[in-house]
Amino acid sequence: MIKVFGGLLLRATVVLFGTAILTFALLWHAPGDPAQAIAMARFDALLTEDVIAQVREEVGLNMTFWQAFWAWLGPLLQLDFGNSSVTGRPVWADLQAAISYTFPLALVALGIGLAISIPLAQLATKRPGGWLDRFAVGVASLGNAIPAYWLGLILILIFAVQLAWLPALGASTPAHAVLPALTLGLGVAASLTRIIRSGILEARGQSFLPAVRRRGVSERAVGRDHIAPHAAVPVITVFGLELAFLLEGLVLVEVIFGRPGLGTFLVSAILARDFPQVQAVVVLTALIFVIVNLLIDLIYRVIDPRIGGHDA
Amino acid sequence: MTLSVTGLSAVRSGRMILFPTSVDIPPRARIGLVGSSGSGKSTLGHALIDDLRKQGHSVAHVPQSPDEALDPLRSMAFHWREAEVALGLAPGSADQETLFHALDIAGGDLRKRPWGWSRCRLLRFAISMALSGQPVLIVFDDPTSALDPVVAAATMDLLNTFLTEQETAMILITHDLGLAAQHVESLLLLDQGRLVEEGPTQQVLEAPQTQAAKDLAAHRNWMSLPC
Amino acid sequence: MLVVKNLTVKRGARVTLHDISLTLAAGETLAVVGESGAGKSTLIGAILGLIAPSSGAVTWNGKPTGDIRPALVMQEPRAAFNPTMSLHRSVMEPVVAQNMTLPVGRLERLCKGLEIPVEMLHRRPTEVSIGQAQRVGILRALIASSPLVLFDEPLSALDATTQKHTAQLISDLQKEEGFAALIVTHDLGYAVAHADQIAVLKAGRIEELCGSADFAQAPQTPYGKTLRDAAITLGALEAAE
Repeated sequence: MIKVFGGLLLRATVVLFGTAILTFALLWHAPGDPAQAIAMARFDALLTEDVIAQVREEVGLNMTFWQAFWAWLGPLLQLDFGNSSVTGRPVWADLQAAISYTFPLALVALGIGLAISIPLAQLATKRPGGWLDRFAVGVASLGNAIPAYWLGLILILIFAVQLAWLPALGASTPAHAVLPALTLGLGVAASLTRIIRSGILEARGQSFLPAVRRRGVSERAVGRDHIAPHAAVPVITVFGLELAFLLEGLVLVEVIFGRPGLGTFLVSAILARDFPQVQAVVVLTALIFVIVNLLIDLIYRVIDPRIGGHDA
Repeated sequence: MTLSVTGLSAVRSGRMILFPTSVDIPPRARIGLVGSSGSGKSTLGHALIDDLRKQGHSVAHVPQSPDEALDPLRSMAFHWREAEVALGLAPGSADQETLFHALDIAGGDLRKRPWGWSRCRLLRFAISMALSGQPVLIVFDDPTSALDPVVAAATMDLLNTFLTEQETAMILITHDLGLAAQHVESLLLLDQGRLVEEGPTQQVLEAPQTQAAKDLAAHRNWMSLPC
Repeated sequence: MLVVKNLTVKRGARVTLHDISLTLAAGETLAVVGESGAGKSTLIGAILGLIAPSSGAVTWNGKPTGDIRPALVMQEPRAAFNPTMSLHRSVMEPVVAQNMTLPVGRLERLCKGLEIPVEMLHRRPTEVSIGQAQRVGILRALIASSPLVLFDEPLSALDATTQKHTAQLISDLQKEEGFAALIVTHDLGYAVAHADQIAVLKAGRIEELCGSADFAQAPQTPYGKTLRDAAITLGALEAAE
């Protein structure tokens, strides 16, 4: 077991490192002059060549790629995210503020997703192939196909503009979080519904179930002890992937709804070529992703120790 | 007390796979339910158990293969407890020690999941689970074909020894008349969903009446050994 | 003539077959009897040339067995056929692969001998019964006229009556075609009734190797006796009165 955990941890580390290098490289080689972008973001005006050169020196863009990378990575390993190239403030402070807007939103979206998908899947599988089942699958497929930004704009149009029930932009009140959370949550619900549904149907087809029932085990116990755990395995898998989509959706949704969260933080940092800020978000996101998947891998192995261990 | 079922039938995909059949099972009976594949014998076995359970009797069914009896995600101990609860027994009251000894699986690690045990021990575990409720009838669906002959023979011997001391009636479902003939006192022969012949084992073997019975009897073993 | 001489197969540190020696002439049948894990499948793999021996040799008339392309009949007919191909295509695969031309009427003759209606070959494996599928498996093994045919538990998936019937069809065809047959089975009754020789395999070693009639009369080893008694308990062999 220790060996397995060690292996997973090693994989996680490699992923983190690779992500860090890749994003650093992409930003470094992005078109345009980073120094110019940073200077513009700082002073909010077009500038002379001298000022730009000064910025370049200050921010460390005169180094080679690897020098710059290690200059960033070093402090990071001591948990120092560095200072913003634009504002000069420590990245961590601004990042923290952004997180405080985003994480609650993400959790609520996940909650909405689960609250819709689990009952819907259970209802749908009561009569597989029936109209409710087909309706649920159809709606879920549609939900998967609809991009989050489109849905967000439509929701704004209906609920904020036409009906004026809810506010659209900004993040000052809890009411401001409703539409964004709904936008994301519906997307999550769409993917999860289909996976939970097929997980339940497959779990129901297990060959030992008739024998268990014949022993007199109640239907409730069968569902709780034999169907749910088996159905949970594919659902947990997708959960890890779902997280990736959620993070991606968050960026778009925050920009659309004008919320000051991780998404807007990231977008403005990219536009300004603010390396430390961008890298901070990337590392954080990668870390979350890696940790969640590590947990999922470990949970699998508890539910079904055959996974990943034994000889075929 | 004789157990009775009447008019058991089954339909699958619109086709009748078991025509209305009635069976009487005297106490401590040893009955062989024999037929070729597709004859409906497994179906009759399931229908029999379901009907008797509805009548309120305590009956048990042992499927052919351990994959059909046990949940691979659950430990052996879980299965045992679950069976006890289903039978309305207090935890620990089923005589696990005696049963495990009788079936020679004492000392196995019950915390393991099914794939941690060999097939033979799994099947014997399923049998002991079935016997734990002291059923009036136990149905074995093809207990030997999924096992190697030496362990299969040993399992049959252990079963026979155990059952002689019990009140439990036994039905052995198999396509192998030779196997049945070794272990049962009377035979029920099925052919294409119908009960075509029944009677004491010797009688059916020596004087089969129907074509199906004749075929089964003629092919019941590979050969007789010279003395 | 198949000659297996001092065959040893190791997988890592584990010895799956230890010092196996046996011979099999054309037209003869050798049954390899043993339980799961005894090494029967490994032996088949070595004879087919798929598993390399760690020491010893497997030859047919002095040359590696791979040269004569031994045929194989597998245990589970559903797993032995590509479900997307018609049975006819599966049967002809060995012929096509070896660039052979079939003698006229061979397919029809073999079909008759195996009681397979030729039109049935146009179906898919899932559209025929298990007994039929297994006979088509045998057809595929015999079609290319290989002098050595291996059978890996050919009857286990069939019910009792079908087993006896199929075994008889195989025997009859063997007399006609003259191939050497090596049959791996755990059914001692089948071995005694249809084989000339019996090799008892236990934990990778040959416990006993003798004529089947002699074995049936009186097995020499305790394990042989255990197998025989088990076969009697299970009704495969009927003890003498």
